[in-house]
Amino acid sequence: MTRHHYVGPTLLLATWGGVAGFGLVDPFFLPGPLETFTKITELISEQVILPDILATLGRILSAFAISTCIGVPLGLLLGQSERVYRSIEFVVDFFRSTPALALFPLFLILFGVGDASKIAVAAFSATILIVFNVAYGLMHSRKSRLVAAKLMGANNLQRFVHILFWESLPQTFVGLRNSMSWIIAIIIVTEMFVGTQSGLGHKIIDYQITYDVPGVYAAILIAGVLGYLINLLLAITDRRMIHWAHR
Amino acid sequence: MIERITITGLKKRFDNVELYENFHLAFEQGKITTLFGPNGSGKSTLLNILSGLEEKDDGVITGEIHPHTFSYIFQNYRESLLPWKRNRENIALPLVFQKKDPAFIEDRLQELEGTFGDAFDWNAYPYQLSGGQQQCVAFLRAIITKPTLLFIDEPFSALDYANNLKLREYIQTYYLAHTPTVILVTHNVEEAVHLSHSIVVLSPRPTGVAARVPNPIPFPRSFATLTSQEFHATKSEVLNAFRGCSAV
Repeated sequence: MTRHHYVGPTLLLATWGGVAGFGLVDPFFLPGPLETFTKITELISEQVILPDILATLGRILSAFAISTCIGVPLGLLLGQSERVYRSIEFVVDFFRSTPALALFPLFLILFGVGDASKIAVAAFSATILIVFNVAYGLMHSRKSRLVAAKLMGANNLQRFVHILFWESLPQTFVGLRNSMSWIIAIIIVTEMFVGTQSGLGHKIIDYQITYDVPGVYAAILIAGVLGYLINLLLAITDRRMIHWAHR
Repeated sequence: MIERITITGLKKRFDNVELYENFHLAFEQGKITTLFGPNGSGKSTLLNILSGLEEKDDGVITGEIHPHTFSYIFQNYRESLLPWKRNRENIALPLVFQKKDPAFIEDRLQELEGTFGDAFDWNAYPYQLSGGQQQCVAFLRAIITKPTLLFIDEPFSALDYANNLKLREYIQTYYLAHTPTVILVTHNVEEAVHLSHSIVVLSPRPTGVAARVPNPIPFPRSFATLTSQEFHATKSEVLNAFRGCSAV
């Protein structure tokens, strides 16, 4: 972290503190940073919010694992041939364009109000996104190295294992990172639906219903930090694995 | 002359351009032959047809050409090396494709490392090397299979003069040790005369052989060769043939 990394968070806190401190907004609707952070420490030290963080994290990771395990192999398979991908392109594009949450009621019927329906709807949208990116990474990879491998006598399997898979990896990671952002959003929102017992989304709605506004802000901030950390971890993994990118 | 590869009646069209039309050429076994000609005369296309990358429209090519016995050195080394593999793995790649066992591959690697160990960091990645070092990796990858046939497509064009000379020396050293048949494509007359036994001057489309200039200077050819009387004589002959066919 260099010095300019602190500018953004500082500016955000200063604006928030300023607006709340000078009473520009009714303090009922916008508690100050101090009050909110006190609430966060309270929630954490009294161990009220920890089970919710873990529940949300568990759902996010389950959905991510499922969509990666299905999406990456499927994308690699479909991206093998431009003709194969073109023939199913409509299905991918259709579901890519359908708002995931519009499907949630259907998933509720299919999987019930428990964890399964939340994880399933998030994994479904994420899988579509991963398939799309992996297949495109394969189809649009540069041909020069494939040609070189062909001249070295590589067979189809060797060309896939040593060249094609790696050529598509940067685009695969674009897909994984995008799908993670989707999953986080979908899981938090689906947790707000009736029947949920735990989760950050559930807490946000709970505090909202009881007009505990600092609680709402605290839960939102925790969800934000959680999402940020997950994305950061994925970005670091990306940079480590695709060390050759932009060189 | 023992012929390693013979091309008879080659025909190749691109869209509406007749590139080759009844083209004949033979490459001598164990000799370095350079294809020298203007851009667009299809020098690289000829290598692509010989190596099987491109289909010919008609004609007969005789001589055994198999991916396990020939190697190809590209003009664009940067795009032919694998940046996700270390230099050592890049060099070993052709043998991995040939499914040689690891001990055999390691032996060959160490053999090369004995001579080229200091040329670059073998455990680094290609993108961490200079252009000259990358072309050296590409060269080693090409010779690790000990090919009996080498296709070399303008390998020097992206290198500075010092690295250019160094690569010429590498190629010459490999040639003297193993006497492969080498087909070199270049548009630089100095490179052509420096390395080859004979220079084939190609005429513009439809491409034909304008002249075949023999180059009797004995190997090994040193830096001093470049300023010798014979060198200038051969060079003039090539340039005259080139001027005769391309109306410069």
